[in-house]
Order: sequence, then structure tokens, then C-alpha cells
Amino acid sequence: MQGFDYTAATTVTQAVGAAGTGSAYLAGGTTLVDLMKLDVMGPSTVIDINALPLTAVTTDSAGLHIGALARMSDVAANTQVTSAFPVLSQALLASASPQIRNMASIGGNLLQRTRCDYFRDVTVSCNKRSPGSGCPAQTGANRGHAILGTSTSCAATHPSDLAVALTALGASVQLQSGSGTRQVALSDFYVEPGTTPNVENTLQAGELITGVLVPPLPWATNSSYLKIRDRQSYEFALSSAAIAVEMSGSTITAARVAVGGVGTVPWRLPAVEAALQGQTATVANFTTAAAKAVTGAKTLADNAFKVTLVQRAIIRALSELLGVS
Amino acid sequence: MPTEGLSRRLLFGRAAAVSAGLAVGAPLAEPTTETADAATIAPQDAGTVSISCTVNGKTKTLTADARVTLLDALRERWALTSTKKGCDRGQCGACTVLVDGRRVLSCLTLAATVNGHEVTTTGGLASGSTLSPVQQAFIDNDAMQCGFCTSGQIMSAVALIQEGHAGSEAEIREWMSGNLCRCGCYSNIVDAVTQAAAAQGSA
Amino acid sequence: MSTSPIGSSTSRVDGVLKVTGGAKYAADNMLTNMAYGYLVTSTVGKGTISAMTTSGALASPGVLAVYTPFNPLKLYAYGGDENDEFTPPLQDKNVRYRGQVIGMVVAETFEQARDAAALVTATYSTQTPVTAMAKSASGSGTVSEVYNTSIVHHHAMEPHATVASWSGTHLTIYTATQGTPLVVSRLSHALGVSSANIHVVNPYVGGAFGGKWGNWAHTPLTAAAAQALGRPVKTVLTREQVFTVVGHRPNTSQTVSLTANSSGTISALKHIATVSKSNSSNFTENPASVSKSTYAAGSISTAQTPVSMDIPATTIMRAPGEANGSFALESAIDELAVALNMDPLALRQKNYAKTVPGGSTPWSSKHLAECYTTGAGAFGWSQRSAKPGQVTNGDWLVGLGMATAAYPAGRSASTLMVRLQNDGTAVVSGTGSDAGTGQATVFAILGAAALGIPVAQVSAELGDSTLPTAANAGGSGSTSSNGTAVNVAAQAAISALIQLAISNTSSPFHGKSASSVTYKNGNLTSGSTTISFGALLTKINVAGVQATGTSAKNTTSGYGFMSFGAIFCEVQVNKWTAEPRVTRLLAVMDAGTIVDAKTARSQIMGGMIMGIGQALLEGTILESDGRFANANLASYLVPVNADLPHIDVTFLNYPDTILNPIGMRGIGELGIVGAAGAVANAIYNATGKRVRDLPITLDKLL
Repeated sequence: MQGFDYTAATTVTQAVGAAGTGSAYLAGGTTLVDLMKLDVMGPSTVIDINALPLTAVTTDSAGLHIGALARMSDVAANTQVTSAFPVLSQALLASASPQIRNMASIGGNLLQRTRCDYFRDVTVSCNKRSPGSGCPAQTGANRGHAILGTSTSCAATHPSDLAVALTALGASVQLQSGSGTRQVALSDFYVEPGTTPNVENTLQAGELITGVLVPPLPWATNSSYLKIRDRQSYEFALSSAAIAVEMSGSTITAARVAVGGVGTVPWRLPAVEAALQGQTATVANFTTAAAKAVTGAKTLADNAFKVTLVQRAIIRALSELLGVS
Repeated sequence: MPTEGLSRRLLFGRAAAVSAGLAVGAPLAEPTTETADAATIAPQDAGTVSISCTVNGKTKTLTADARVTLLDALRERWALTSTKKGCDRGQCGACTVLVDGRRVLSCLTLAATVNGHEVTTTGGLASGSTLSPVQQAFIDNDAMQCGFCTSGQIMSAVALIQEGHAGSEAEIREWMSGNLCRCGCYSNIVDAVTQAAAAQGSA
Repeated sequence: MSTSPIGSSTSRVDGVLKVTGGAKYAADNMLTNMAYGYLVTSTVGKGTISAMTTSGALASPGVLAVYTPFNPLKLYAYGGDENDEFTPPLQDKNVRYRGQVIGMVVAETFEQARDAAALVTATYSTQTPVTAMAKSASGSGTVSEVYNTSIVHHHAMEPHATVASWSGTHLTIYTATQGTPLVVSRLSHALGVSSANIHVVNPYVGGAFGGKWGNWAHTPLTAAAAQALGRPVKTVLTREQVFTVVGHRPNTSQTVSLTANSSGTISALKHIATVSKSNSSNFTENPASVSKSTYAAGSISTAQTPVSMDIPATTIMRAPGEANGSFALESAIDELAVALNMDPLALRQKNYAKTVPGGSTPWSSKHLAECYTTGAGAFGWSQRSAKPGQVTNGDWLVGLGMATAAYPAGRSASTLMVRLQNDGTAVVSGTGSDAGTGQATVFAILGAAALGIPVAQVSAELGDSTLPTAANAGGSGSTSSNGTAVNVAAQAAISALIQLAISNTSSPFHGKSASSVTYKNGNLTSGSTTISFGALLTKINVAGVQATGTSAKNTTSGYGFMSFGAIFCEVQVNKWTAEPRVTRLLAVMDAGTIVDAKTARSQIMGGMIMGIGQALLEGTILESDGRFANANLASYLVPVNADLPHIDVTFLNYPDTILNPIGMRGIGELGIVGAAGAVANAIYNATGKRVRDLPITLDKLL
């Protein structure tokens, strides 16, 4: 870990005002402190933002507002969330461990770094960590790597379950910097690696996530998050599926589908959503729709199984949510 | 063929921080591949922080460099070694403590951030020679073998019961899954939590 | 005391210390003026170090020293075969594997040492490491298949740690070990110090599983640094370093060929194993050995071929050989049952080894047949569908599998001391190690049984090299060896007490003959006089009387000594996403006299859970450059609580009095033997898919 100066802010204005070259905001610390110890990140100034008044969870006509410093465990248990957006609560509860969920903030969750073991090991190359140095995952241990949105520079998955659920729901992040505030849809926020995997999102210098807005979606009460992994708990996804479905009788009138563990960014699947719309809820129809999830998938030596797994995850999630077998 | 060994610093460069990490939106240096001989660059000694917090009801103070985690403050500064370091990466749960009553990982908590807060460790659960219900239940059910993960397991169990997650064996298993036990005491840990929750009337 | 505590369900005697955080593990020692060591490891797989740059580290705040092969601490050649590396660190410039210790930084604080170590760089002249594992050749028979297992790591929750402190020429060292004599012996060689000047203290060990038999590089380095700097030094391995600085279980490729007639009688069993072996360590695993003793067969042949590799040390890990070998053997038996359309339990019963296979040598005590029938009944084996893929629970495919557990039993030499004290308590002490095994509790129970006093009045002292030399914790031998010595030492202490009672002029027994004084249940009696030993010692103003007793290594020949068991497992595999989950687990064990039912049950469960990890989750990925690709606990997956069901363990409890008078055998390894096979067989029964490569992850079942 590099030495750094520690400063604590009590207001958003103070926090963004303190930001400068080489600074980093510290919330729960579950990513930042971890990666600082590994020398993957090395801010010269750490701005503790835990005292900022950004913890509220409220609902109004614009939708569900989640403060960036609300903790994962609190949001997961919030009745506004559990009643209106079960997929969010389930995604949060499938994440990490109870201890980490008590620490980690919503804003931090959305900015957590990939779990690619090459990224996390500074003794090897990584284009995301050290641009131009190479990507050992292309020919190395890549069972956990992405099949969607990859490039020859990077195939690291985005690790957040919450981001997958929020992406399915069309959520936005609210940002603030010295030059003002703005709101960016998550679909525009995350950036596929291309030739610059070091650029992961469209956050500007000094910008701070202050909150998340989930627009109203009444039928999101009928939603769920399914996470598939080797271990039953406390592990990142091999594949996951966030789904919300509007039904009329046995017919699907609208659907939202996003998947995790397979994309370099949280991966919304409009083609799958369209294929479900107007269909009767049957496993056969789920299967037909799920096949559209992997259009353009590129596999590496050890992760080809994810092409099948992600489709199965979608089928299973729909089957379980809709009680169809 | 002589090759230059990979230095941790060489590959670290500044690029790592560019795309922002946890709640990081700060302006950072442009991405560059640092090629200078980093080994000749001594690190700045870390900024110093002074903190005061409560640990097991007693005021503890510390002036140290900001790099110090709560775990290393507890163990190496205050010699409160009931809390264990199993991985130092948030991957095992051995370092679990309560901060303001919530279970957290002390290895990923900078000590600076607990200034003014209340920390509880396993060393602070018993009242004199009277064990807490969770501690007693761990003994009764042999919910430990080597004992190294036990402090973290107990702190998670104490919190789990307070959180109201002791409703069934399956629920206990899931909500205890942030604490690895390599000796394999999981069944007995579930039994211990069940017993302790019942003793506290919250099962 | 009328009822013997042997076989009771006694709570762990060190339980209070463990639940209050008061048990002091190696890294918990905080010494005055202590400095912190941090290791630097190699980043290439093979070669020589041509230069190292340490100026940045040396210039860092708080740094006291940076040791490298260019500025080494003097260490002498290692002596003896202790499942450790061949070569002490920093004495040459060769890189034998990636992750080898090539330096150590010592600083005032942990953070300063860690962050200065990151500034140390090395320039290498590299060579291509040998990292390719050979696959075992195919064979022939009624069934013949190749089974592959992965490199796995012990990963005791306590990372290896050493705190060293010198007083003049005398070293006191706190270090995680399975036996303090192992540390004394190796450090005596490496440091060139008389063993009399080395005091090893390690009463609590945070798990070991074979991984703390070796001392590993950090231990002599820390001791040498403390001497050079004239102050105590603490070095704790990072979790990443635990993957390479200490040893691991090798990967294997095994061919098992079984030839049988239609009624299931096996005429030939051939088990050929290929195993990886580090060029840096002396340990070679023998997975095929399990096939020599598990089943009767007309002919049995086993062989193994080590593949030398430039990888971190291969070493002993819980059931070294058997854990890998039994997966192959028990899978093959299951495959033979399928081929013959037989019930796999019936097939095992058909080939029951009534004597040691290959001859007429009897077993000292074997009740495996009862393990089979008791286990099958309790588990509901008769409900198993012979045809795979037939039973479902919603969207989950349900399967049942089983396997035989078998592990050799032995008894090595052990000396213990029993001390009777004037407060009526007793102490049983010896160098033995309790890494969670319950050895301390076994000492207390057996001491109480031998002395006829309550367990609560007996305490145990272990893990100190100044105590009498007991058996180290390994090979499931501690209880058989040390437990036997408890009795000998207790009888010696009683004799010493009686001698004192008749010779001390203040004693009511003064002047009587030794034979006229009897000891029973904590009391001495002669004629009409009875007095407790505590009261007697108090009366004659003696604090305590103590004696040592030695139990020799087992030399009884003409028997096969083994523990046995049957493991039954139910798994469920999701029909869509294929993740396998263990939903029921039951074991019936024939492991001699069980001293403490409570801690013994825990140990068997732990072995089975480690076997489930081996079966479903664990596998260290070795890259061609010698790097372990998943060297952390988020990527190397060990089971979590939610992975396990409630586990049922039954002990048959038949004493093996040919092995020792109390009839005890060891149980540390038994639980893992067969566990992976039982899981694999259950997965076949659930899905119809036979996976012969561990771990059995969902991608192999999709």
C-alpha cells in the first residue's frame, strides 16, 4: 500500500472540493482498501465520505431514490425495495457476505472493480491496470471470464450483482462534481473495454455518485434475481439473471432481462425481452427467448460453458418466478 | 536470456486508479505506463491520523499512519488479539467485529474511519467469567476445532441473532456463510447459533 | 469415580479460551520492541537471480533491514526429512519455483515492512519451468478408467506465523507447528544452534492438516533476522504466500482397472498413479497404496510415477495418498457396479477383505461390515434407484452414493508427564500438538480415567518443546501413541506418590511398605487410613509429585492395523444450471475406542467436509509459467456453511486392544478418505454423468 493522506468530508460540496489528482473517495472500503493493499490502487489522498448525508431511501413520482451511501444490507432489507423491486433486494442479498453488505455502499458497489485474478496481481500484465501491458486471461485461466462485450484487450467480468438488477430496471446514477450535477443511465455509464479497458465508466474526474434513481415499474413487483456459482454462497457469479415480468393471464406482456457474470459490463438483453413479449409462459418459449442472450458471444478456452449456462439461468429464473416447469 | 523481473510498482503505475474504484470519482493522473525504476522511489510515509474509539467499552486512542486497518490496530497496536487475521482480503471472515453493533470486516476497515465509533470484539463479550450465550453455545456444541476462525464466527453469530436471521437452519447457514471454517465445524456452528438464539428468545 | 470418562461426550477443555479469544496463537505474541518481517517472493517460475534492487526499500521509513541472496542471513543446510523444502532460503540465487522466498524486509511496523517489500525488485535469468502434468495411460479390464485430481491446498485458517526472540544464545520461538520437536530439530540444523538452546512454544495451532509439519522458509529466516537485529521479529505469511511458501497436495492422474466376473468377484485390481512432485521438496504421494488394503481381489498391483516439476513444495496433506487414491478407487468400484448391474454396496460387500488383501494376515480389529449395514439402514440406501437420473425434487436431480473409508492405524513412541498437585488437580503434559484435533481434551480425559478423578480436575499442557517428547500430530497417530503414554505416566506418578507417602515423615503412611498402600480414584489407602492425594500433598507440604512415562512404538506384527468406515451421500444437481449440492451426509466409522465422542465427531465431519471441498470446489490452477492462477480465498474455493447439510456421524466403538490397551485408533484422516468418491458416485446416480476429474464443477455437468 502506498502512503496517503486521509481526510474526512462532511458535505458533498466539501468532498468534491477536496478531490484532486490522485485522490479517491472512501466509503465502505471493501474494494478500495482491498486493492490498495494489493497495490492495484494507490491514491495519494483518501477522502472519507462516510459522514455525507447520502443514506436515505425514498420513493416519489420519479421512482425509487437510493442514496449512494446507503449500505447494501440496509437497502436489501428496505421495505420500499423488497415490496416494489424484489430483484434489487435479492441481488443485494446474493452479493458478498453479511459483513461486507454491512460495510459496502450502493455507490461503491456500482464502482467495484473486476475480480479478474490477473487484474488483482501486480506481478503480471493487465491492460486494465497497466494499459498496453497485455491480457494474460486471453490464453490463461479464464473459466470465470466474460463472453459478452469482450475484446482482445480484456475479458474481465463486471462483478456487481446490484448493477445487473439496476440495469434490468433502467436505473440511473446521479453524479455531482465541482461543476454541477448530472444523471446518467447505467446503460450509458458502463463502458465496454475495447482497446481501453482501463476506462470502465463515464465518470468524470472528481465526480461523486450521490444516488441511484430507479424509475417506476409497477410490474417489477414480479421480479427476481438468480445467481449461479460453484459455491452456494459468498462467491461472485458464474452467471446470473435479473428478470421482471408483466403477465396477463398466462401471457407475458412485458419483460426485463439482464445478466451478470458473463459480460464485461452489466448486460441488458433487449432481444430476449422482445422475444418473451406476447408469448405464453412456457419453458419452450423461455428457451427460444434465452437463445437470443448469447448473440455475439465470444468464448475463451475455459469459459465456453457460460454460453449454455447463461441461457439456462434465464430459463430457470423465468420458470421459478412464473411457476412454470 | 536475461529478463527484467516484474516489479509490483512497475506494473502498478498510476493507471490503476484511472477508471475509479470504490466510490472513486476523483480526478486522477492520465493513464501512463510507468517505466521509471520505481524501486528507487521511496514511498511517502503515510499521512498520520489520530483516532479515539471505544473497544469493548474502553476508550482506545491511536496516532499512526493512515494505512493502519482496524484489524492491525486491534492486534498490533492495542494487543487485542482475540480478532484474527485469516486472509487480510475480506475473503474469510476471521476478522469480523462489531462496529456500532453491526458486523463488519476489520481487515477492510481503515482504523481512521472508526474514530468516534464503538467496536466490540470477542474479547469483550463475556461478563467477567460468565460467558455470553453464544460463547457458551459454541462450547456446548463443539462449534470449533482449531479455534482460529472462532472469534469471527462468534461475532457473526452474535450479530446474526440480533439481525433476526436465526429463523431456520437454512437461514443460519446462509447468514453464517461469510465466515470460513477449514476444520469443518459448520453443522455444529448452526447448532450453536440455534441454541444461543433460543436462549435469547429470538429463535 | 465409578464411570470412566472414556467415550463420554466431553466439551473441549480449551473451549473457554477459544471462545473468548484468549487462546494465544503464534501471531498473537506481542513482544517488547518487536519488529515485523515481510517476505518477498519470486515472480518467475525458474531461473537465477542476477540482481536485486533494494535501495527503495532500504530508504523507506522504518525499515531495519532487507535480506536477499545478495545480502543473506546465514542459514546452514537443512537436515532430516521433514516434509519441508530441501533448501534453506536466500543461500543461493536459484529460483526453483514461482512464489519462492527471495527476500525479507524487516521494519518497525507491519505496514512499513509490507510496503517496503513491494519496492524490492529482482532481475532474473529465466529458464522454462517444467509444469506439465502427465496423464496416466489407459488400462484394460471389466472397467478401466483414468481419474484426475487437482492440486489442493490445506489452507488452515491460521496463516503460518513465526515470532522469534533471542536472549543471548537462547532462542524462544513461537511458530505454528504440528510438533514443537520438528521445529527444534530443523532450526538446530538451519541456525547452527544447539537444540538445547531452542525453545519452541506453540500451545494453540490454528489448523494444520499436514501443512504445518514443515517449518517452511519464514521460520529460520525470522529466527536469523531476530538474532541479527538483536530484537524480536514477527513474520506472518499473507494468504497468497500460503499458496507457495508452504506445501500443497499434489495433483494426480490415476488409472484403475478392475476385472470381475458377473457375480462381482474381483479377480484383478490394478491401480497406476501418476503424481506431481516438486523439485524443491522430498515428499512423493502414493495414491495407489489405498488399493492394497481396501478390497479383496485375486491379484492387486499398484504403481506410481512421480512427475518432477518446478513448483512449490509438494507435501503431506490430510490422508496423503488415500484422499486422492480413494476417489479413483471408489469411483472405479461404482463404475464396476454399473457395468455388472449390481448394487455398489453389495459389490463392496462381495469383495470384503476379511484378511489383509494378498494373504491371510488378520486384521487387529475390523468391523467395516457393520459400518456398511448400519450406515445403509440409517441412510435409507435401499431407497436408491439403481438407474441414474430417476429421482427428482422439483427441478433438482437427486442421487445417492457411497464409498469405503480406510486409513492405516499406528502407534509411535511417546513420553508424557503426569503431575499430581496439592490442590487435588492433575496435569498431563507433553510436546504433542492440538491443531483442533481435541488432543488436549483427550489428554485430560485419559488422565482422568487413569487417575480416577473427574475430567474437570485434569488439565493438559501441549505445544512446548521443553515438555516430554510426545508424538507429533500427524498420520492419525496422536491419540493411539500419546493416549497410551498417558496411562504409563499416570501409573508412574501414582508410584512416585506412594513412594513419597511412605518416605515422608509427616505422611500418615510413613514407614509402611509400598505394597500396602493402594491408590484408587484419587485416594491413597492403607489399612483404615484413606486420604486424597491433594490432602496428602498439602499435609506434607509438597506442591506436587510428577513422573514421566514412555509408551514405545508399536512392534506387534502379524496384524493389519487400519480404521474403516462407510460414507453415504445424497447430492442434488439442478436440472437447468447443474450446480451440485450435497444435501445429506452420513458416516459410520470403525475407529477403535473413541475417547471423546464430541470432539471425535467434529473431526470426522471436518474430514468429510474437506473431502467435499476436494470433490466439488477446490483446485489450484497451475499455469505453464509456474504461477498459481487462483491463489486467494475468493478464487480458490473452500466450502462455506451453506454448502453443507447436517451431518450424521456414528462410531461403532470397538476397542482395538491389539494396537494399544485402551483400543484407540486415530481419526484425523479417516473422514476425508472416501468422501470425494461418495460425492462423485452420488452425482452419477443423480445425473447419469460420470465425472472423473476433480473438482466436479457445474460446467462438467451442464
